[in-house]
Parts: sequence; C-alpha cells; structure tokens
Amino acid sequence: MKKRIVVVCPGRGSYTKDTLGYLKNGPNIDSFLKDLDDRRKAIGDPDITGLDASSTFKSSVHTKGEHASPLIYACAYSDFQSIDQEQYEIVAICGNSMGWYLTLAFSESLDWEGSFNLIQTMGGMMRSELIGVQFIYPIVDEDWKLNSDRLKHIQDSLIDGVYISIKLGGYLVLAGEKEACKTMMARLEKVGDYPFQLINHGAFHTPLLQFVSDAGFEALPQSLFKTPKVPIIDGRGHIWRPHSTSTEDLRDYTLRHQVLETYDFSKSIEVALKEFAPDQIMLLGPGNSLGGVIGQCLIENTWKGITDKDSFQAQQKSNHPMLKSMGLI
Amino acid sequence: MASSIQYDRAKVVDDAFQAKVLEGSFPKARTSLSLNDVPVKAHLLVELFESQISSRLMDIRARELKNENRCFYTIGSSGHEGNAVFGEVFRPSDMAFLHYRSGAFMLHRGKKLPGHTGLYNMALSLAASEDDPISGGRHKVFGSKELNIPPQTSTIASHLPKAVGAALSIARARDLEVQAELKDDGVVLCSFGDASLNHATAQSAFNTASWVAYKNFPVPIVFICEDNGVGISVPTPDNWVERNFENRLEIRYFQADGLNILDTIRATREAERYVRMRRRPAFLHMKTVRLLGHAGSDPEWSYHNFDRIEAAEAQDPLLHTARILIENNILSQGQILDLYKDTKERIRHITEVACERPKITDPKRIKESLTACKNKRIAPPIPKKLQNKKFTDTPQHMAKLINRGLHDIMLRYKNTLLFGEDVAKKGGVYNVTTGLQDEFTPRRVFNSPLDETSILGTAIGMAHNGFVPIPEIQFLAYVHNAEDQIRGEAATLPFFSEGRYTNPMVIRIPGLAYQKGFGGHFHNDNSLAVFRDIPGLILAVPSNGADAVRMMRTAVREAHENGRVTVFVEPIALYMTKDLFDEGDKGWSFNYPEPEEESKIGELKVYGEQGSTVILTYGNGLYHSLKAQKKLKEERQKDVKVIDLQWLAPLNWDNILKEVAGAKKILIVDECRKTGSLAEGLLSGLIERLPYPPQIKILAAEDCFIPLGVAAASGLPQPESIYGALK
Repeated sequence: MKKRIVVVCPGRGSYTKDTLGYLKNGPNIDSFLKDLDDRRKAIGDPDITGLDASSTFKSSVHTKGEHASPLIYACAYSDFQSIDQEQYEIVAICGNSMGWYLTLAFSESLDWEGSFNLIQTMGGMMRSELIGVQFIYPIVDEDWKLNSDRLKHIQDSLIDGVYISIKLGGYLVLAGEKEACKTMMARLEKVGDYPFQLINHGAFHTPLLQFVSDAGFEALPQSLFKTPKVPIIDGRGHIWRPHSTSTEDLRDYTLRHQVLETYDFSKSIEVALKEFAPDQIMLLGPGNSLGGVIGQCLIENTWKGITDKDSFQAQQKSNHPMLKSMGLI
Repeated sequence: MASSIQYDRAKVVDDAFQAKVLEGSFPKARTSLSLNDVPVKAHLLVELFESQISSRLMDIRARELKNENRCFYTIGSSGHEGNAVFGEVFRPSDMAFLHYRSGAFMLHRGKKLPGHTGLYNMALSLAASEDDPISGGRHKVFGSKELNIPPQTSTIASHLPKAVGAALSIARARDLEVQAELKDDGVVLCSFGDASLNHATAQSAFNTASWVAYKNFPVPIVFICEDNGVGISVPTPDNWVERNFENRLEIRYFQADGLNILDTIRATREAERYVRMRRRPAFLHMKTVRLLGHAGSDPEWSYHNFDRIEAAEAQDPLLHTARILIENNILSQGQILDLYKDTKERIRHITEVACERPKITDPKRIKESLTACKNKRIAPPIPKKLQNKKFTDTPQHMAKLINRGLHDIMLRYKNTLLFGEDVAKKGGVYNVTTGLQDEFTPRRVFNSPLDETSILGTAIGMAHNGFVPIPEIQFLAYVHNAEDQIRGEAATLPFFSEGRYTNPMVIRIPGLAYQKGFGGHFHNDNSLAVFRDIPGLILAVPSNGADAVRMMRTAVREAHENGRVTVFVEPIALYMTKDLFDEGDKGWSFNYPEPEEESKIGELKVYGEQGSTVILTYGNGLYHSLKAQKKLKEERQKDVKVIDLQWLAPLNWDNILKEVAGAKKILIVDECRKTGSLAEGLLSGLIERLPYPPQIKILAAEDCFIPLGVAAASGLPQPESIYGALK
C-alpha cells in the first residue's frame, strides 16, 4: 500500500547559504534547468544553475525576489521529481507564501511556461524597489506551545501600516510600511533574535501590494490557469479539486487575495491534516526552514499525540515520522 | 431470489453505484432540464456531486464503524443528497435549522468557508469525540457556529417554531438597531421530513409564519420539506405534502425533484429569490427517496418488501447526478469511479484519525456546557433617568412593582422584547404589562397568536439573533402545551453547542393557586415539576413585589450576559395582595428597590430569628407561613425562622444547609402538588446531606387539581395548617 502524503512547497526564505549547491544532489532535471536558464537569459537574468553553483552565497543576489523565487522553484522541482510515485501517493499539495505558486506549478494548474511566468513575474515585481518590509515574531514558548500573552502582546502592539502577513505555525510574520514596521518592532519585547526583519522581503500579503496584484492581472492571462491534477490547499485553507475548480476563481485568488491578504499557512496545514489525514507530510527543499513550523502546526492540532516540541522531536525519530523534510536528506 | 437478498443495504447501494456507473446503466431523468435551462456551470455541478458522494460515503463508513463499536450514530442522509444544493444556493450567513439527513448540505456549505474542515468535523461527531467542534462529543448534531447552523437533532420537528422566530427577528433587529447575528437581507432555512411536518410543533410554525405574513410583517423563512415518502415505517399518503401545502395561506409553494440536481437547483433558486426579495415565507418541497433504511439499526425489510427497497435504490440520486455529468461530458465514467474511490479512501483515513481522538467522559466536564456561554456580553449601564411620572414611590403590590421593574429593564436593555397573549394594549390579564406597549412601541411589546409553542419558539429564535426576549405564558397550566420548547430546545442549546449558541430569555409565567373568586385548575395550576428536572434552567418564584423586581433584574442580566434561560413564575394570588396580617396593614406592599439592587441566584430570604424550628417555603407558601409564624410567636411564644427559597432551581444547598443548621424541626411548606414537588426534593436533599437529620415534615398541596369556588383553596397549605404542624 502506498503511503499517502501531502506535499508542502517552501516559501521565499528557504534558499540560504546552507542550501547553496542544492541542485547538484538532486535527480537529473537538466532539461527543466536548461529551459529555465534559457528563459532567464531571454529576460537578461543570470541562470539558475549558475546561481546555485556559486561558490559564495550573496544575500544581495540570492535573496532577491527575481532570483530567489526561481531558485527555490528549481530546487523544489528537483525534490518533487524525486518523490517515488510507486511508494507514495500525493493526496494534496500546499505551500507557504510563494510556495503557493509552486503548488500551482506542481499540481499542473499552470503548464511549464505558465509556471515560469507566474513565478518569475511575481518574484520580480519589486526588482527596482522593494515595497515595505516583513518581519517575524514568535507566538510560542520554547516548548513550541502557544503563548497567549505573547499573541496578545502582538495584537496590542499592532499599529496602522502593519499587517499580519503570514500565520506561520509558531510565528507571526508581519509586514507593512517601513517606518510603521520599525516602530512596531521597537515596541515588541525582545525574544532572542526576534523581532527579526527578513532580508529582501517586501510587504507580502498586505494591501501595500495592490500594484503587484494589478500588474499580475496584466501579465498573467486567464489562459495560463488550468484545473489542478491533485487537490491543492491555498493560504486560506480552501481546497481546490481537480474537477470542480473554477480556473477564473483560481486566477482571481492567486493574483488578488493571495497577494493582498494574510497567508494562513497554519490553516492550510490544518486542513491538510484534517481533510486528507495523510500518513506523512513531505516538505520539499531547499532546506528545512518550514520543518519547525510544520511541527508547531502539528502541536497546535495535537496531531497523533504531538503536544510539544519534545514529543514532536521524539515522533520524528520514530519509524513513522509525521514530517519528512526532503531538504535534509 | 432469496439467495440474492442482501441485508447489508449499505453495501448493496455502495456496490450498485459503482457497478451501474461502470455499466453506464442509469435511472431515467424525470425532468427534461438541461444545464443551459438552469443555468449552471460544470465545475459547480461537480462540486455538488463531490458533496453528495462525500455525504453518502460518510453514511456507509458510519455503518462500518458502528459494527466495530467505534461510531455511535447511523441515521444517514442517503437518498437526501440533493440537499447539497441548499448549501450552494443559500448564503453561509443564512441561519439554517436542519433536518438530521443534512449531511450533504453541511459538507457543501462548509466549502463556502475556506478552511472549514467539514469531513473531519463530521467524523468527530460520529465518533462522539471531545474535539467535535460543536457539541464536544455530547451529541450527534448537525451544527456549526461558523456556518450559522445552530446544533439540531430535529427528531420531533421542535426546531420549526424557533426558525420562524429567527426569521421574524431579522427586520426587528434592524429596526431596533440591536446587534444581530443575522444579516439584514438574510433568510432562515428550516428543513424537516415529510413525516415530521405532521407534528403539532411543525403545524404551529407554519401557522405562525402564515399569521405573521398575513399581517404583512416580514418573515423570510424557507421551510424545506425533504419528502422521502416514509416516516421510519409509516408511509406518507400519496401527495399528502403537496395537497397540504400547495395553497397554504401566505406560504408560497415550490417543488423540486430531489433526485435531479438540476431541478433542485432551479426550484431552490426560485424559492431563495422569492423569500429574499419578498421577505415572505416559502415551502420548498423536495421529493426524494430514502436509502439504507431509517438508521443503521432499522431492518427495513421487516416492513418493506425487497422490490420496494430496490425500487428506491434504483432511483439513487447519486446515479442521477452521475448520469447528468456524463450526458453533459463533464466527467467520464472512469473519472466518476476514481472520484468515488478516492473519496472513500480519504474518508476511511479521516475517520480512522477521528476515532482515535479523545472522548469526553468526565461527568463534570459534560455538565459544564449546560450553562456555558462563549459569547458573553456586558450589561448596559443603568440609565440615569429611570423615573417616570406614572410611577409613585409609595409602597405597592407585586403587579405594579413588576410593571415598573419591566419598564426599567426595557429602558436599560434595548434588546429586550416583551410578548405573549394579551400583553400589549390590554396589559395582560392582571395588568402587569400595562402601558409598556405605549412606552416602548409595538415593535418591542406585542401580542402573539394564541399558541404557546409559537410564543416560546419565537422567543428562542429571537434570542438566536441578539435579543433577550421576555415572553409571557398567560397561565402556568398553558405551558404544558409547549413545554418541549423549553425542555427539548431552549435548555439544550448550550449543552449541544458548548455554549457557542445560547438562547437567553426570561419566560414570565403567572401561576400557582390561591386566587380568590377566579378558580379552576387552568388558572390556578400548582405544579412546578415540569421545570425542576430541566438541567441548566433557572427557576425563580418571587413572593413579593420588591423581591420580584430584584430577581427579574438578575434574570435579565444573566440572560444578557451569560445566555441563561430563566422561568419566572409569578404567584397570581399575590399580584394584588397589599396586606399581610390585617386588612389595611400594607404588610405586603413594598417600595420599589433601588435601581442597582438585585437578588443573587440562590440567595435566600430569611424571616425571623434563629429558632429551633425552620420553615422552608416560597411564593404563596411564604405569605401564609409568615402568618403562622406570627401566631406561633404570639400564642405559643415559639420562634420560627421562615426561609423564602426564591430561586427554586438550581437550589443553593450551601445556603440552605447554613440556614437549617441546628434546627430541631424543619417544615417544608409547598403550595404545589406533593408528588414531584420541590418539597420532595428538599426532603431527600436534606436527608442525604445532614449527618443527623432533624424531624422533617412536608406540608404540601393535595395531589388534586384545583376546584372552583369556595373549594379552591381547600387542599392547599394554609396559615392554620402550618400553625397546626408546628404548635
């Protein structure tokens, strides 16, 4: 019997100095990479193969949207291709933030060209100037259980111009206008390194990106969008199914709500667990930056006896870990 | 044929669906509608089909799990899957009071709310898991706070009257600017079966909706009759439903072929449009079949022959939808079978997880939800200007004080409504509500039709939408006509929803005996037994006007803040009583309590110093006991402490035990019929709790109905009999 898995696609922060050279270790996806590099060359961007093969990680290059997005796409694609279809049945796909674009790509809601267009276009929207900032702050304690006081502290500290950008397991990602975010970060009590501003991240999933939404509608026509081949779960927890998806609605969500409103990754994981009851969650690389976050979601839902960090880690060491991070392999 | 008969109809239906799709053998369409006629988009039809399949497979899975003793409910929705359409056509914000065959509706409405986990929630409910997000494992109900579906079991159509009340509340809330749950342009749905519509409660609801619409008030409700032609084993006469409702006064009739999803969409859209635009009631008659029997435990072959069972199965609505999808080239046979198998596998996994989730077992936790309230409110401040020229500050009798108390409550709580028989212009039979309509307009103080079920149902429904209704049942004897609205509906709502839903209200009931010159059982009923065993209910019986005001304030505040339901029984015989011991002594006339004064629930009122003898009583019993107390002191120099219990449910045993500590003799004076009386409960409670119980006697009314004329008070405790019991 095949293992039923939900595939989780990583977000913008997943390509780091530790994942440099990631593509070297994956399966052969040369034709995919060649096509990607050719398309990048055509628009004057450096090729992905070269960026990944760089000897040094340059924040100023590797984390910029127009490079990071396709880099992560390539790495995740590499992992997705290596999933053994004989051993695993993919029952649903979801992702975090730009992971939604990867979700669309891997579920074939967009064809090859459409996937590139979406990922490259949306990733490069702030090529000339980054709009706003994004920062992250924990809402859990050291044992990864919700700290209600801290959550309230954030809510009480929210000011005009700052929005909840992503609900990310044990963290809230906040984003908004630079000055407002700076003020709010100063107000928040220090917890270790947090609040922590994410480099080269803009005010994703906030109304500040209205122009991105508008430009997205301009650049990405309806014809690019198809019905998914497997169920996909979006950043509200809505499930889009192969035969009952309105491609008009899918495009509208992707380019409007998904861009302008909070991305609730926690909810998408909750829906994945409850509505698909997978045997395992398969997190695509690069890296494992969502590993802990998914663990925190499992804790929040007290899934399979996982109630805190220790029990999550113990479960991960068992013969049937709930989470498999391909980026760690 | 006998060898081919299979008794596992769930398996038969399951196998038949797959085999017939594979063969391309489908039931013929009973209507000739096309996609363009409706019109409807292809993806939407598939979405509905997915909801139908999921509902069916959940039924089948429930039967399997029941056989393994892991599921506790098998009344299914099979045959009724056409109701997925209601989930599509109506808005998630339209409050829905549901039939117990509403699986497809629930699942489909859930899809309108991103992030809703409908299958998992349903699985938790079947498994009676503590995680069930509506009842917490206490009962299998269809309900969801986020989907605007108050939890319902709907076994006896007792949900229909409150659905009418909720529909009535929409325009009222808008006009009175009450913070409401329902949207101004919302409608209310209420579904039930063809057998259920024969219940008196259902008829009450139809009549009320008709009555209200006839008076041209908005009542935007869609009664949805899911007619499968049989109530457990009793067949509904042919055409009974349509003949009954085709020409019902002020209720527009719509009919849908529930087997044909296109026709159901057509009819539902028409009904929805009519009700939403016209704000008048509609009756949507969905004709369908019942599959898999009444429930898992129902051997249908014991009353239907297999030909009949198979004839119904041949009309499986899922096969009809599959035919429509194939005919219109939306899905292939293979895609339908894959969808069916994938869904079955998915449900198997989901239910496996759900069955492993914790169950609720702790009786204390189970009981917590009886009075739970997850939507607490804060009482508005007491208005500075309470004084009204028509009220005087001299001591008054109870009727006048309650009248003033209600006036001030309505001034303070803008979401209170007062209604019942004759309460408006007439001011009630005993003038307790006199002048309130003039002061607060007919929108807040109004007469109801002469139907107690309607009065209480309206109150419950109004309370679902932000109001704190204060309905009046004209006489205590009349409540029995409608008691299930309190017992089965109002009191159970927080229990079934862990306090996510409440129906706060204060039900005023003039009652009890001792009326002079106005005798007879129906105006002097003296039994409170019907309220005493209802968990979570507050039962208040004041004995004088000042206490009545204090207690009413508490009851209304508890309703507003904590969602509580109080039955407030006002002793009629004391309404106009001014004197206590002698004519003209004004001993039973009281000053109006200061605005902030309340009586805490469970607070006892103690009359007299500590003596070796204690009387426990309430209502008229207190009044008569005080007379006996005086006589015992004067003639026997005996100190007797008299305790007015005031709050009869829940009893505050800590307070009671404190007051009876050291007593050598306890007399329980109970004006109600002895059998099932509070006195019996007090007696057993005292014996149970006191290590060395003193002598305890009961002086209660005879187990008899109240007669007319001079005999009216003959079987009731009197000052003389109380004196006699203690001298």
